[in-house]
Amino acid sequence: MMRLALASLRHRATASTATFLTVLLGTALMGSFATLAQTATGPVSDVDQDTLFIMGAVVGSWGALIVLFAVVSTVGITVTQRETEVGLLRTIGATPRQARRLVRAETLLVALVASALGAVLAALGGRALLTLLRSGDVVADSVRYDAGAAPAATALLIVLVSLVGSSFAARRATRGPATITPSESAAGTQRLRIWRVVAAVVLIGYGLAMGVVTITVTADDPDPYAAMQTSGSCAILVSLGLASLAPWLLRHLSVLARPLLGAGAAGHLAAYNTRRRSHLLAGVLAPVIVLTASAVGVLMAVGTDNRTRPGGYDDDARTINLLNNVVVGMVVVFAAVVVVNTFAAVVAHRRAELHRLWLLGATPDQVESSVLAEARVVAGVGVVLGLLASLATVVPFGVARHEGIVPDGQLWLPVLVAVGVVGLTLFSARSAVRRTAPALGGVR
Amino acid sequence: MNSHTTPPVHPPALEVHGLTRTYGEGAGAVLALAGVDLTFPVGTFTAVMGPSGSGKSTFLTCAAGLERPTAGRVVIDGHDLTDWSEEDRTLFRRERIGFVFQGFHLMPYLTAEQNVGLPQRLAGRRPDRARVRQLLARVGLAERGGHLPSELSGGQQQRVAIARALVTDPAVILADEPTGALDSATAHEVLALLRSCVDDAGGAQTVVMVTHDPVAASYADTVVFLVDGRVAGTMARPTADAVAGQLAHLDELVAGVAS
Repeated sequence: MMRLALASLRHRATASTATFLTVLLGTALMGSFATLAQTATGPVSDVDQDTLFIMGAVVGSWGALIVLFAVVSTVGITVTQRETEVGLLRTIGATPRQARRLVRAETLLVALVASALGAVLAALGGRALLTLLRSGDVVADSVRYDAGAAPAATALLIVLVSLVGSSFAARRATRGPATITPSESAAGTQRLRIWRVVAAVVLIGYGLAMGVVTITVTADDPDPYAAMQTSGSCAILVSLGLASLAPWLLRHLSVLARPLLGAGAAGHLAAYNTRRRSHLLAGVLAPVIVLTASAVGVLMAVGTDNRTRPGGYDDDARTINLLNNVVVGMVVVFAAVVVVNTFAAVVAHRRAELHRLWLLGATPDQVESSVLAEARVVAGVGVVLGLLASLATVVPFGVARHEGIVPDGQLWLPVLVAVGVVGLTLFSARSAVRRTAPALGGVR
Repeated sequence: MNSHTTPPVHPPALEVHGLTRTYGEGAGAVLALAGVDLTFPVGTFTAVMGPSGSGKSTFLTCAAGLERPTAGRVVIDGHDLTDWSEEDRTLFRRERIGFVFQGFHLMPYLTAEQNVGLPQRLAGRRPDRARVRQLLARVGLAERGGHLPSELSGGQQQRVAIARALVTDPAVILADEPTGALDSATAHEVLALLRSCVDDAGGAQTVVMVTHDPVAASYADTVVFLVDGRVAGTMARPTADAVAGQLAHLDELVAGVAS
């Protein structure tokens, strides 16, 4: 089974790369913060212990949410793309159980290697974070770095999560009858799965509830950071909730995004592809929403904090500010990599379909611009939803710090993030479609 | 003006002269087509047959202008497109060549009507809805215009693909194993439809079909046998039995060519 899995992985470089990078960077990101929590259990003062726990566990858990979501969604995309091949395996006698085992074995191979490397990065990253904390006098210089088993435990957790993700997707891929004809069904998968609705209700509900708690309870807390603790992750939670509804949202909102497409053949194709096969592009929409929401939400909150912190802008504040930027930076880089990755995986899977367009007389330019038109819809819908989700952090924290619903400054920031995210989405679409271009040629 | 030679009113729908295509270089080079000369007059239905590796698919790919031949010329409707750029060949292809594929090649997210109108859209025009409807009616799918490919049977999908091939009123329809994925009853419907495109007075279409099925070939006016990249013989007014018999004795045809 492992040998078959290894051979099959070599044939699927782009999709495997997507899983590999997501797991690698996810382990590095999550593990770095986990080492801080681990260090806190060592011989340190109570104050330092508190600080390290907040950094490691509280801040780290925002990142963890995004990482786990990204791992499940990337693994899901790569497994679902293999329906045809799984069907083929079953026609030559593989039982559904065997087919699922093959898919799991592949995921296990990729996730093991990637998370082991990620754990090494996490050990280094955690050390760098602690050095930063010490040099900024956030914790005493006597605090000793002690990663312990944290990177390994994170790696193990992520491997398990990838396996669960691939089991879910493999079950979906083996549910139907065995067949060699690819199910390019545009219909069928249109209904929103119940777990998506449940996840969305829980995540959005929790995010909004934390926002309400920020305004009504923690705003009056003597600790100025209590409000940030409750509201900081609201945007991320709400965006993850919206991301789980991504197929449904894309199908309905892409109609509104029609003007973004232009009137040509490319726009026509993109309009129907985003609507009738929203489950395909939803995999890209989800990270766009989360990327926008986390960048805008956390950065705006940090800005509000800088303007309104009781006691003014001192050295201490500068360090916290720096730390926040490091955290946002890591999360944003991770989400950006996921966007580029998923686009590459989704477009690589559509090679046959794009080739078919070319056979029918589309020029390579038309093929490229139809994919770019889809990317515009995804970017547009994703940025709008992401900005909406970011309000879940920005508004409660602003109210708690007496800035009101609209923050007093940095209103250029959402615009900047939006432009950046749209640019990134279009760039990843273009590079993905350029990479598939050599596939043109031949009748079949 | 020479009174002895009246220029033909219609140039042939498709002509190839000395068509040669090699893959690879040096000792490993494979000769897929070795100088094929064929002419397909307007209003004819020709089947191109041959064993695997005989160059059938390469012939179709080169004739369609998808691939550039190593040597020789391809002339469609009087236009020699051999030396044209990729861009120009694409533009020509979508206006003047209709394709029917073994795998149907419909876009999964477009309805039957939208699929039929797609070549016109790609050419930057608004699809002529009346014409699209009329073509769907002609292939017997007037009621199915709003259905997605996944809601149609294999035979119905192939008939949509034929309507799509006809929409630009092409000089020639190139069909690559159009019945390869269909059962025999459905295959008969599809072949009869291709036949009617050629016979119908208004249509006067030209069809060139690559196939390995003697029954499919029997719907054609002429069968061309390809062996090892060469034309090994032709057969007019073929029957399935005669074609099958000839296929079983292709080695004799080859011997005839060699001598």
